[in-house]
Amino acid sequence: MIGVIALHEWRRLRAGMMFWVLLAFGQLIIAWLGFAQLEAFAKIAPQLKAAGSLLGVTDLVLVPTLNTLVLIMLLGMPLLAMGSLAGETHSGRISLWLSSPVSGSQIILGKILGLWLASMPLLLSACATLAALGLGIDFDWPRFLLAVAGMLLLSLWLGCIALFISGLFDHPAAALAASYGALLFLWLLDSLSGTGAPWYWLALLPHVEPWFQGLLRSQDIVFFVATGAVAAQLGVYSIARRRGEI
Amino acid sequence: MKPVLLARKISHGPGNRPRLSEFDLQLQPGDRLGLLGVNGAGKSTLMQILAGILAPASGEIEIRGNRLDRAGPSLRRHIGFLPQRIPVYPELSVNENLAWAGQLRGLGGEALGNAIDAVLQQVQLGEYRKRLAGRLSAGMTQRLGLAQALVHSPAILILDEPTAGLDPLQTEQIRELVAGLSAETSVILATHLLDDVQRLCNRVILLDAGRKKAEHEVTPELDLLKHFRQHAGGGALEATS
Repeated sequence: MIGVIALHEWRRLRAGMMFWVLLAFGQLIIAWLGFAQLEAFAKIAPQLKAAGSLLGVTDLVLVPTLNTLVLIMLLGMPLLAMGSLAGETHSGRISLWLSSPVSGSQIILGKILGLWLASMPLLLSACATLAALGLGIDFDWPRFLLAVAGMLLLSLWLGCIALFISGLFDHPAAALAASYGALLFLWLLDSLSGTGAPWYWLALLPHVEPWFQGLLRSQDIVFFVATGAVAAQLGVYSIARRRGEI
Repeated sequence: MKPVLLARKISHGPGNRPRLSEFDLQLQPGDRLGLLGVNGAGKSTLMQILAGILAPASGEIEIRGNRLDRAGPSLRRHIGFLPQRIPVYPELSVNENLAWAGQLRGLGGEALGNAIDAVLQQVQLGEYRKRLAGRLSAGMTQRLGLAQALVHSPAILILDEPTAGLDPLQTEQIRELVAGLSAETSVILATHLLDDVQRLCNRVILLDAGRKKAEHEVTPELDLLKHFRQHAGGGALEATS
């Protein structure tokens, strides 16, 4: 049933305007930025070579573009997720879900998976654009593939967080605003606090950037899996509360 | 005969002002039960509790002899629910909306296709199956909602004011559809229209302020208006006076 719900969610999102606008906008930004970075790199490449710098296209083109992709995902996932629970409530369709013989955990996991599926076209098309660079120039493929794997995990995590927040509200606009507030806070947390602050481990970017540097750290995986699972569990709790089960 | 649905002393809402208070209900196979009451009488709360959307604060509900709170979500498969706000996706076609409603209730493959064909014929939306739900008229949307509630052939069909907001012609179409349902389907119909009860139901319960005030067999001789004034309108009249 989780797969059926995921496919329905994907079909619903694909039938809406938001999905296509987001895909077009994201692809445009990534393509434009990627080629602008490449052009800038081509200009300074002789100087870098003369200075004996170790910085290559991966550091100066790939990483900044992937950082932009993270930002696009942060902005895009709440747009997709706002209709998932808040939109269902606002439109009255939540009654169809709540009266169905489907458990809360199946609903939440199916919707998370559906959101993840819906983020794939943007994510994979952006990565394919960047991978195209590798056909013509020297490219650090293992580092790139680690970054892509990290982005896949990040989009799944974003789905968990945005869906949980969507479940707290009865109006999609309120869910969108709250998701942006929460994600912006997590995004800026590392620059707002020092590395010694007790809440520093909650900051998003220190868990993402190591992937782009080619570092696979268990603490980053634990962060995304643990916080994503907590958000999903709270989502299940919100369904149970709506049904009056608790 | 064993009741298909049994509700015992179900209550909901805060103790000093309950939306539903110690409500008993028994639905036999093939029954057409009307719930009649003014706005705010507790009809929608009762519908939501019976459909499994809300849990009662106290009391118990049995569907085909199984407790709803103990058997898990799978028991909801026996229920079809048409709420006041029709739960359709306007960006999906009629067919896709029905496929989704069927899948959500466990249908798949050939059985799903056959069920959609049958229910589309039943609600006379066959020629609109590829049309987006957002482009249907109010009456057609209501028929689509009814088809969603019926696609998995439920034993119990719960209809919450199915003719609300429709013009007389559309109201008549919905009434004909409900009247034409097979005898295997038991129906609970919440309404504040006496005509709905008189034409579609064999039993009626009058509600006021969350309480059952009276229960009658519906016969041509039954003066529903008199009973409605006497029982169901009381709370509203007191509240406004």
